[in-house]
Amino acid sequence: MTSHQKDIKMWTPFTMVLLLIMVLGGVVLIYRLVNGLGAATNLNDRFPWGLWIGVDVLGGVAMAAGGFLIAGAVYLFNWKKYKPIVRPAILNAFFGYLLAATAIMFDIGVPWRIWHPVVMWQIHSIMWVVAIHVVLYTATLATESSTMFFEKFKMESARKFVKLIMVPVVIFGVLLSVLHQSSLGAVYLIAPGKLSSLWYNSQLPTLFLISAVMMGLAMVSFETILSSRAFNHKPNMGILSGLARGCLIATIIYFVGKLYFLATGPGIGAAFAGTMEANMFLLEMVIGVAVPLVMLLMKNVRENINSIFFVNIMVISGILLNRLNVAIFGVYRDQSATGFSYFPSWMEIVVTLAFISMAVVGFKLASKYLRLFPETEAP
Amino acid sequence: MAKSVLIDLTRCIGCRGCQIACKEWNERKAKKTEMRGEYTNPPELNSETYTHIKFVEQEKDNAPVWSFVKDQCLHCKDPACASACPVEALKKTEAGPVTYHFERCIGCRYCMLACPFYIPKYEWEKAAPWVQKCSFCSERIKADMIPSCIKTCPTGTMFYGEYDDVLKEGRNRISKNPGKYVDHIYGEKEAGGTSWMYLSNMPFESIGFNMNIMKRELPDLTWAYITKIPAVIGIVIVAGAASWALTRSKNSDKEE
Amino acid sequence: MTNHWIDLRNSDVILIMGSNAAENHPISFKWVIEAQQRGATLLSVDPRFTRTSAKADVFAPIRSGADIAFIGGMINYILQNNLYHKDYVRLYTNATFLLNRDFKMPGELDGIFSGYDSKKRKYDKKAWAFQTDASGVVKKDAGMSSPHCVLQLMKKHYSRYDIDTVSNITGTPKDSIEKVYQIYCSTGKPDKVATIMYAMGWTQHTVGTQNIRAMAIVQLLLGNIGRAGGGVNALRGESNVQGSTDHCLLFHILPGYLKTPRASQPTLQAYNDKYTPKTKEPLSANWWANYPKYSVSLLKAHYGANATKDNDFGYSWLPKLDDGQNASWLMIFHEMMQGKFKGFFAWGQNPTCSGSNAGKVRKALEKLDWMVNVNLFDNETGSFWKAPGVNTADIKTEVFFLPAAASMEKEGSITNSGRWAQWRYKAQEPQGQSLPDSEIINALFYRVKELYEKDGGAYPDPVTKLWWNYGQSGPEGTVNTHMIAKEINGYFMEDTETKGQPRKKGSLVPSFAHLKDDGSTCSGNWLYCNSYTEKGNMMARRSTKDPTGIGLYPEWSWCWPVNRRIIYNRASVDEYGRPWDPSRPVIKWDAAAKGGKGGWVGDVPDGGWPPMKNPDGSTNPKTKKAYIMKPAGVAHIFGPGRADGPFPEHYEPLECPIQENPMSKKHRINPTAKLFFELADDKRAKEGGGEPEDVFYSCDIRYPFVATTYRLTEHWQTGVMTRHQPWQLEMMPQIFVEMSKELAAEKGIKNGDKVKVSSGRGEIWARAVVTGRFKPFRVMNATVHQVGLPWCFGWQYPEDGSGGDSSNLLTPTIGDANTMIPETKAFMVNVEKI
Repeated sequence: MTSHQKDIKMWTPFTMVLLLIMVLGGVVLIYRLVNGLGAATNLNDRFPWGLWIGVDVLGGVAMAAGGFLIAGAVYLFNWKKYKPIVRPAILNAFFGYLLAATAIMFDIGVPWRIWHPVVMWQIHSIMWVVAIHVVLYTATLATESSTMFFEKFKMESARKFVKLIMVPVVIFGVLLSVLHQSSLGAVYLIAPGKLSSLWYNSQLPTLFLISAVMMGLAMVSFETILSSRAFNHKPNMGILSGLARGCLIATIIYFVGKLYFLATGPGIGAAFAGTMEANMFLLEMVIGVAVPLVMLLMKNVRENINSIFFVNIMVISGILLNRLNVAIFGVYRDQSATGFSYFPSWMEIVVTLAFISMAVVGFKLASKYLRLFPETEAP
Repeated sequence: MAKSVLIDLTRCIGCRGCQIACKEWNERKAKKTEMRGEYTNPPELNSETYTHIKFVEQEKDNAPVWSFVKDQCLHCKDPACASACPVEALKKTEAGPVTYHFERCIGCRYCMLACPFYIPKYEWEKAAPWVQKCSFCSERIKADMIPSCIKTCPTGTMFYGEYDDVLKEGRNRISKNPGKYVDHIYGEKEAGGTSWMYLSNMPFESIGFNMNIMKRELPDLTWAYITKIPAVIGIVIVAGAASWALTRSKNSDKEE
Repeated sequence: MTNHWIDLRNSDVILIMGSNAAENHPISFKWVIEAQQRGATLLSVDPRFTRTSAKADVFAPIRSGADIAFIGGMINYILQNNLYHKDYVRLYTNATFLLNRDFKMPGELDGIFSGYDSKKRKYDKKAWAFQTDASGVVKKDAGMSSPHCVLQLMKKHYSRYDIDTVSNITGTPKDSIEKVYQIYCSTGKPDKVATIMYAMGWTQHTVGTQNIRAMAIVQLLLGNIGRAGGGVNALRGESNVQGSTDHCLLFHILPGYLKTPRASQPTLQAYNDKYTPKTKEPLSANWWANYPKYSVSLLKAHYGANATKDNDFGYSWLPKLDDGQNASWLMIFHEMMQGKFKGFFAWGQNPTCSGSNAGKVRKALEKLDWMVNVNLFDNETGSFWKAPGVNTADIKTEVFFLPAAASMEKEGSITNSGRWAQWRYKAQEPQGQSLPDSEIINALFYRVKELYEKDGGAYPDPVTKLWWNYGQSGPEGTVNTHMIAKEINGYFMEDTETKGQPRKKGSLVPSFAHLKDDGSTCSGNWLYCNSYTEKGNMMARRSTKDPTGIGLYPEWSWCWPVNRRIIYNRASVDEYGRPWDPSRPVIKWDAAAKGGKGGWVGDVPDGGWPPMKNPDGSTNPKTKKAYIMKPAGVAHIFGPGRADGPFPEHYEPLECPIQENPMSKKHRINPTAKLFFELADDKRAKEGGGEPEDVFYSCDIRYPFVATTYRLTEHWQTGVMTRHQPWQLEMMPQIFVEMSKELAAEKGIKNGDKVKVSSGRGEIWARAVVTGRFKPFRVMNATVHQVGLPWCFGWQYPEDGSGGDSSNLLTPTIGDANTMIPETKAFMVNVEKI
């Protein structure tokens, strides 16, 4: 353990709060298992999916996109510049998927049958495609990040074996991520008419993938800045600027795409209709796309750590909002006419917060006990 | 051949015998309701109610018009719910019904999102919940019996038979009674065609039917994506491997 | 029903008025819809746009209580436009009869007919007599042009019911009235036929009987009675109301519509003389001339061997009513309220919810020493002593509950509205301690008899002399329903001979034509004689043969009388026995039948006599007139038998929104209806006298809205059976009051709001259903709002009280002048937001 790692204090008040939330979340999940989804959530027949799917699953997976991007950059494109962040990026992705998978387990009605898709194949189902991807990619991420654990527990031969197969594993991971990020968008392809045309279009999978790239890069950058603060060393501006450039490119493509489908779909005017869904769409576009785009276009922004940090937060919130919009607000108009409505229950919120807390605490533990940032260690 | 039903709304008197017969055959419970100022109750289909009558009141030429609209699973020819289900818990059978098999279901509720008619309902209050919906009395059909709601209907609102005969009957009724029906068989084209179809004397959109349902099989929309997966797999593997190979010279750094 | 359910499909025009058949008789719509598919037109006349109206080709809204004005206008329309079936009217009705010259009608006497005694509120019907010739036969004018003939008098009477007047009274728009008249009256042609479906919307008025009389006149004028697809069809309110009426549910009749004896008829001779009609009409069958055969056979069925010629067949053991006594529903509770009853059996009923002015019923029960409640479940009646707002400690009434078996837990017959007696089998054993009603009565009989035999008593014979032969004897004995059914049909009581055939003692009588007045036969109900014969239980037949093709299904169950599916069917043919409409013949004369002797083919005819005329046009002396139950052999367009007038006349309901009867200033309400609360003048009841429970407020600003009550498809009667059924309750969970959007706006009420509905008698809460299906009426140039409430709810169940209470807490104490059926279909209320 390096001195920096020793500096990381586990029992801070912040961590205590996170632990408390986790305990509370655990209690809620037990309550949910015993009494059913209806007792714990505000889900109903017109809103079969809510906060857990919108944030924990769709959001969590998008946040994890950094993993395959950095792994791909480092192992496949050999952009060695990014090697220092490959471990945290992969670990972050692993946590993201683990949490998404756990969230799904509690969100589905019959959790003890979570394994069914593995043996009951239904290749016509996007949901089956998604399920298989989650399983495979979580395993892939586990493999990718296993080196750190093997290192920690001095399991040299295992570490070496993983190292040996790393490249095909990374290729596999990139493949699964591309498919998985897009297939989450493809889930909604079957519901034209239900999902508002502000979001629905035939290229929804592609837009999901591109926005996941934005989110993934922003997330990695965000964590890099945060951890550099925790470890009290200067962040590598080259990495941050590079991530920002990548984010900019993705954002430009995404912006053009969104604009194109807005114009050719419901029309530009639909975004300014003043309805709740139109406003939510605008909010998402301003926070997650327009502001970051304008800022990132400026070179000095891309080279300033504070402004990059700000843009990261904007992108993360904006894309998270996008997923929430697709899951909830995009279908609201149709449903609420029937007298049904949805706002997450306090228990749903607690569980979501508990999952986020788990990720933060997990990352903190990893930083403390694993060699997460080998490049930054003092020689 | 697949069984099919034509609901001729001009014949329905809103007695709700079908609603009760369905509950009886399927052993469904009642839920607590209240009189909300209209007759429709329960207000929506739910896990205990596979079919109900919607009472739709409107005015035409200053006079009231009251329509009684039976609502239940339409049993699409190519059902979105069945294609959505990751574990084949929902299935379109050859006999016509779309059936549900709890022993496979994981409870992801994607069927509920996929169904354009909002038919599958969930047992939210249970710890081991089922998706619930009309089964077209598939067990009765197997035993050569008429579905329970159709058996009960006193006025012959539902014409039951083989798909082709049912569709022909629908076309006949429209052509033989000029002015009586709107010239549309709801379900002939909607969602690529459904096993249950409707005739109406009032415009369908005025009595709560969704006219924006795509006139094509909805599973095609996701299938278009799925069929691209092999290509994506090929491209990513080839590109990834090629990139690694081309840039591997830079990869000679020793591990620290 | 003169016809039967399936026959509705044969109609060209169906008028549903005073009924909401789609909701309350949904199965009837199997046939109504079938008729519509054939091209028939459905007319719906109702205060409210109902599920029936939703299926109708024409809907005409009508203010509750204005039906006679509407139908009177139709009679006028037929006569003014010469749309009646002239041959039918001439041959088969009393339209040709000549009235006494001094007979006067409401048009001349400001609202009343000749012979009215305002003190007794009664008519002296001698004033309504026909002119007779020297031999006593009624004088007639076959041309129907004499000003004193029934047709011309009727024309004069109804000329006052022009469309403007009708619209002013009913609130029905003029074009709707004309449309209904035009379509319905198009069936006066011989090849067209129309039918009427009515129910409690017509009977539950102070003018209930006359509502139906008015329609019967229309049907006779149009020649629609006796025909397939025609008739006057009462849709009975319960599956076996027809059967229970046939078997004397009501106080004034014995089984088979024989009359209950009165104190002034001390001997069987006096009784039979009083009720056996006589006629001088040469060609009239006058079937009721057989009255003594039926009454003696009934007495033999009651008392068996104890009934002998010497003791008047036990006639003295029959209970007698005092002269002028009325023992109907309203009177029972009125007198119970006055403390005149010690005990009461509430058997298969729930009067604290079903009875008009249910609040009064609830109070009356408190005056009893004991009450026995026989029902499937405990109900609001059995538990009246613990109802909300009741101080249980103050109530002395001791209540016993006897659980009864449900209909599917016992075997027996039910008689539907179409007069079919259908045998039903037991589906399962009675639950718990419940017993079939017959076994409860059986036990009661044996215990009462034991007491009489042991202790004597004032008059034990009526009980101890009964012939009780229904299976095992003793209070614990089981009852064999077949024994009851056989006794209803009747046995030969001794070896005898009828119609040239020897009959063995104890064998079943083949039909009522074999019944005798000498004590050699018994029959518990002469109308059902033929239902259970030596050939077997006719009611259990299940053949689906339809030889006529008009849906008579003669071998499915059994129909009274003598399996005649359409009664008065002799009027469905012309003088030569040829059907008016050859495309749907009920019967026709076939000269080749019976080996050339000639006979009727088709339905069982109203008597087998040949047609009125021979093929050469000469009168057949062997013929009898078609309406065999009427003394003169013709149907009564002029009906002198009714208490309130020979022609129906419009009177307002006891409570109405207008000050005066638009038809006659002096007589606002039916002048012969019994009043429970005396009027000081014609407007303000409270200035008069009577018990406060019976108060009423007509045209009073405190209760400005017309109200009516009704049933729902989803609940059965007071809901005792259906409110315990969660599926039913789920569909219709709470009492509601339906009102127009205009009224709701005026009172600031929104759809679904909880509102208070009050009348002079009580108040209840209800959920508001604000709907376009109620529209304000324009009555006498003023806007009149009407509301409606179902009466199927009660405080006891659902247990949380969320269902509400009975709307009969609002309805008044007054009944029809002839039948005393309470007027629950038109009264006045107020509606306020809570």
